[in-house]
Amino acid sequence: MKKICLLAAVLFGFSQMALADIDKDAAVKMVENVTKEGVEKIINSNSSQEEKNKVFKQLFTENLDLDFIGKYVLGRYWRTATVQQRREFITLYKDFNVKVWSKRFDEFKNKKFVFNGTSSANNPNQIFVNTKVPMSEGNPVSVKWRVNNANGKLKIIDIIIENVSLAQTARNEYTSFIAKSPKGIDGLLENLRQKVK
Amino acid sequence: MKKLFFISMVWVLASGLNGCASTKSGSSDDTALESYNRAVFSFNNKLDTYVFRPVAKGYKKVTNEYVRNRVSDFFNNINEPVSAANHLLQGEFSKTGNNLGRFVINTTLGGVGLYDVASKVGLERAPTGFDETLAAWCVPDGPFVVLPVFGPSTPRAAVGFVADGYSSPMYIVANESHGEDAMAVYYGLAGLKYLNLYAENVQLLESLEEGSVDYYEAMKSAYLQNRSKIRTCGKPVEQAPEYDFDMDVEDYED
Repeated sequence: MKKICLLAAVLFGFSQMALADIDKDAAVKMVENVTKEGVEKIINSNSSQEEKNKVFKQLFTENLDLDFIGKYVLGRYWRTATVQQRREFITLYKDFNVKVWSKRFDEFKNKKFVFNGTSSANNPNQIFVNTKVPMSEGNPVSVKWRVNNANGKLKIIDIIIENVSLAQTARNEYTSFIAKSPKGIDGLLENLRQKVK
Repeated sequence: MKKLFFISMVWVLASGLNGCASTKSGSSDDTALESYNRAVFSFNNKLDTYVFRPVAKGYKKVTNEYVRNRVSDFFNNINEPVSAANHLLQGEFSKTGNNLGRFVINTTLGGVGLYDVASKVGLERAPTGFDETLAAWCVPDGPFVVLPVFGPSTPRAAVGFVADGYSSPMYIVANESHGEDAMAVYYGLAGLKYLNLYAENVQLLESLEEGSVDYYEAMKSAYLQNRSKIRTCGKPVEQAPEYDFDMDVEDYED
């Protein structure tokens, strides 16, 4: 209860500051651009899959801070990883995500993202851009984009679909994998190498 | 009296299990339950790969979006009285009215619920169930459990699922008619309901598995995070996930 009160106080107290530190219109515009480019220009286009993957990779790496997400995802193991392991993990993590997401975005084919404003995050440099995607079957899906302002450059650091944070899910999954793998981080790197082939 | 006994049993069960397992949304599972969960998950996954997925894909091939939407609208409408009763138990009276209004409109003007016309006149869907009622009554969720065939769950979710099944108008009508045929129709309809629901999500599940290095952990994390949107003990649902993205940059520098 204390935690919730504290969180509410922090959210309330810093909401104005949060909005002052990150330009919410710019954040919305950036996410709008990603959805427009991703869905309308890539997924709905008639170009080849290879061409789509190429454009998608560019869009993805330009707008998502995969270095930041990669570090977060590795959790406490980032500290114990060697410099080489860190570098290889970030590279593999980027490639793996591009591969997975270029397919996953297909689910949004012919769909329109409806923008429902923004909400503040507990970090003044971050903001949530709220969207909904009306689905042809079932209820609309809620998609929140967590945008971070890193030295004036806005980048997406998490996508939250129906309350499920992709960064948090990946962190739970990857740290559990490393803990169980006899080879630790190298075991994870081996697995990712196979997956991005 | 029976109800109070039932609730206290669920509460004791959930609290007891809570003590021996972590329930925090998305936390790592370091419990005695994990080996059981992983074994059942692996069994379910095989069942899914060889039976449910092919059946769902076959169903998707022989039906179109329009038909599947009619099927889901029909079952959503049948469930409105269950939602109404649970909203009443949660003290959400306006939502009870919403559910009942939707049921009347969709059953009459919407062709026995095949069309959701109520949404078009401003009565949006607000489904709920006994799981959410127990949450409103402060019954703890309990640990993550994988049930054979049914998949990811928690003790509270499982109790809610069973209670919703028994309180469904479909079950009550079949049970009251005391006929074997009526029960066979009920099971057939229940099967269709879940097949239709599964068909809607089959692509999503495939993509989750493909994008995972540990599918069990990914499913568990996603399931528990999704449940965090259930309102518990009247507390407001948190807008943002609980985790903190304010990483100490020095810890993450090369």
